[in-house]
Amino acid sequence: MHNKVHLSRVLFYCGIVLLCFCMVAPLYLLIKVSFSAPQEVNTAHPTLLLHHPTVRHWQQVLTSGNLFKPFWKSLVVATSTMLLAVFLVAPASYVISRASRHLKELYVMVLFFTKMFPVVGIALPISVVFLKWGLLDTNIGLILAHLIGQIPFMAWILVSTFSSIPRDLEEAASLDGCSKMRTLWSVVLPVAAQGIAVSGLYVWLNSWNEFTYALYLSLTTKTLPLQVYYYVQRGGTFQMAAYATILTIPVILVTFVMQKYLRSDYLSGAVKG
Amino acid sequence: MKKAKKAFFMVLVWLLLLSPLFGNGNSESGATSEKKGKETLTVTMALSEEEWAVMRNQVIPNFEKENNCIVNAVQVEASDVQKKLVAMKQAGKMEIDVVASDVNREAALIDAGLVEDLSAYTDLIPSQTAGKLAQAGVFDGKTYFFPYRPNAEINYYNENKFNQYGITPPKDWDELYQVSKLLKDKEQIGRICLKIKLSGDAIDLVEFIRSAGGDPLVLNDQGTIEAFTYLQKLWPELSPDTLKASFSSSNTFLSTDEVYYCPNWPFAANIIVKDGGKTEIKAYEGFRGPKGFVKTLAGEMLGIAKGSEHKELALKFMSYLMSRDVQATLLKENGWASFRTDTYADAEEWQKPYFDALLKALTVAEPLPRVSNWDKIQQCLNDAGKEILLNGADVKTTLDKYAVQVKALQS
Repeated sequence: MHNKVHLSRVLFYCGIVLLCFCMVAPLYLLIKVSFSAPQEVNTAHPTLLLHHPTVRHWQQVLTSGNLFKPFWKSLVVATSTMLLAVFLVAPASYVISRASRHLKELYVMVLFFTKMFPVVGIALPISVVFLKWGLLDTNIGLILAHLIGQIPFMAWILVSTFSSIPRDLEEAASLDGCSKMRTLWSVVLPVAAQGIAVSGLYVWLNSWNEFTYALYLSLTTKTLPLQVYYYVQRGGTFQMAAYATILTIPVILVTFVMQKYLRSDYLSGAVKG
Repeated sequence: MKKAKKAFFMVLVWLLLLSPLFGNGNSESGATSEKKGKETLTVTMALSEEEWAVMRNQVIPNFEKENNCIVNAVQVEASDVQKKLVAMKQAGKMEIDVVASDVNREAALIDAGLVEDLSAYTDLIPSQTAGKLAQAGVFDGKTYFFPYRPNAEINYYNENKFNQYGITPPKDWDELYQVSKLLKDKEQIGRICLKIKLSGDAIDLVEFIRSAGGDPLVLNDQGTIEAFTYLQKLWPELSPDTLKASFSSSNTFLSTDEVYYCPNWPFAANIIVKDGGKTEIKAYEGFRGPKGFVKTLAGEMLGIAKGSEHKELALKFMSYLMSRDVQATLLKENGWASFRTDTYADAEEWQKPYFDALLKALTVAEPLPRVSNWDKIQQCLNDAGKEILLNGADVKTTLDKYAVQVKALQS
C-alpha cells in the first residue's frame, strides 16, 4: 500500500516535471536565441546550451526606438481598459445578478449579441467613426475600441460571480446597519474579488494582445503586438526573439501579481451555520 | 508601509487613467510639428529594422533640412496600406500623404480610388530609369505611381553542397528535376526548396505557368496544364520546407543548411551572407521554362494618397527618393536594387554577384496580373495547387474546375 502511494507520488511529480518542461522549453529557447550569436543558431545542429552569449540583439531592440513607446502605449491601454471595464461592469453586473432569472438571462443574451459579430467585420466601420472623431494614434481611441469587446466578456464572468454570492451575506450586513453602497463595497466586492481579478486579468491580456483595432487606429506609435507582427514580417530572427522575450515579461508579472486572487476557497466561511 | 503601498497603487491607477486623456503616444504628431511651424509629411513604407535605420539617419534628414519640414515616416505593411487608406478616406481624414506601395497591389489601390493621378508630373521620373520599370505605374494610360524600389526574386544555392555532389545550379526545368532528384536520393530528404506555400502570394506558381506559356487568368490553357503537370512530377523531390518558405523562413532554411537551394529576395543576401557570414550561399538569376525565362516584378513604387493635404511637398519627396544620391545610398547601405542604371557602380564588392543576378532577373521581370481581385484569383491558383500537388488530383480536371471560378471573378 505504502509502495503504491509512493509510486503514484513519483509518477505525479514526473508528470509535473514533464508539464513544466513542455511549458518552459519554448520560453528557454526564445531567451536562448535572443542571447545567441548567429553562428550558434544558424547551423544544422544548434546546441541546447548557450556557448557564445551576446547582448547585441537586445541592444538593437532596446536602442531601436521600437520598444518603449509601444510598451508604454500597450501598458496604458491594457491597464486603462481593465480599470475602466471593472469600474463600469462590476456594479452593473451586481445589479443584473440580483434581477429575476429571466431578466438576467435576457441581459446576458443581449450582451453576447454584440460578441456575435467578428471583430474584422465591425472594426472598419467603428474605426471610421473613431477617425472622424480624431482618435487616430490616441490611447483613448484604442481603449474605447477595446472596451467594445471586453465589456460583454467581463459582464458574463461577473454576473456569474455575483450570482454565486449568497444574498444572506447582504441581509446580514443590512441587519448590522450597512447601507446598500457600504454592503456592496465592504461585503460583496471583497467576496467577489476572485471573479473580478480573473475577469480583469483576461481583459488585460485580451487588450494587451489585441491586434485589429490597433492596426486601424495606430499609425505613428504602435502597440506591442503590432511591433511583434512587424518583426515577424520583416525577418531578423534574433531581434524577434529579443522582442518576444520582452513582450512576455509584463504578462508573467501581471499573472504573478494576480495569482494570489485566484483561490478556490474564496467563499468558504463567508456564511456561518 | 501598508498605507504607502496603497497610496502608490492609487497614484499609479490615476496616472494610468489620466494618461489616455492627455497622451497620444506620438511625440512627432502633426499637431506638435505644426506648433514648430513646419509642414509634416506622413509617409508609409514597409522596411526592416536595418533599412529603417538608413532611411531615418541617411535619407530623410537631408530632405527635412532642405525643405524645412518634418517627414513622419511610418512602418505599414503592404497588405495593410489599403485598409488604412480605406478607413481614412471613409472618415474624410486622410492622414497619409505618400505611400510606398507594393507593385502587385497597385491595381487594388487605384480601383478603390485611393491614390492620385500623377500623369501631369511624369517629367519627374528620371531618364535613367531602367527598361520598362516606369511603365509599372501606368494603368489605363494614366500614371499613378513612380518607380522607387524594383525587386525580383533571385535563386540562392549552397555552393559547398553543390560542389560536394558535383552539380551546378539548374538552368532549366529538366535540370531542376534532375538536381532535386539527385539530392533527394543522396540525402533521403528533399533539399531543393521552392517558395510554393499554396497560400498567400503565388509568385513562384505564376512564374512556372508563365514560363510554360500559360496565363494564370485563364488557368486551364495548355501552358498552365504543362506547368502543373511538371510540378506534380517535381513535388515529391522537393524539400518539405517548400510549403513553409517565406522570406524570413527561407533565410533560416538556407542559413542552417536545411535546404541547399531556394529563391528569395535580394535583401536575403544581407541577412545570410553579410550578417550571417554564410559566404557559401551564392545566387543566380534562376531557371528557364519551356517557353523562356520568366521573373515577377515586385518591389515598391511611390504614390500620393487621394485627399493628401501636402501634395506639393509629397511630389518633392518622391523626386528626392528618385534622385541618384538617394538611390545610390539605398543600394549600398540596404542592398536594394535601384531602378536607375547609373547607381550600380556604387555597390560594394561582395554585393556585385547578387546584383548581377538581380539585374538579369529584372530585365525580364513583369508584374503579376493587374486585376483588382487578384487576391481571390491567387487563392484559386493556390487551391488548385493543393489539390494537384498535395492530393494528386488530375491536372486537367482540377484546372477546368478552377478556371470557371477565375473567369467568374473577372467578370
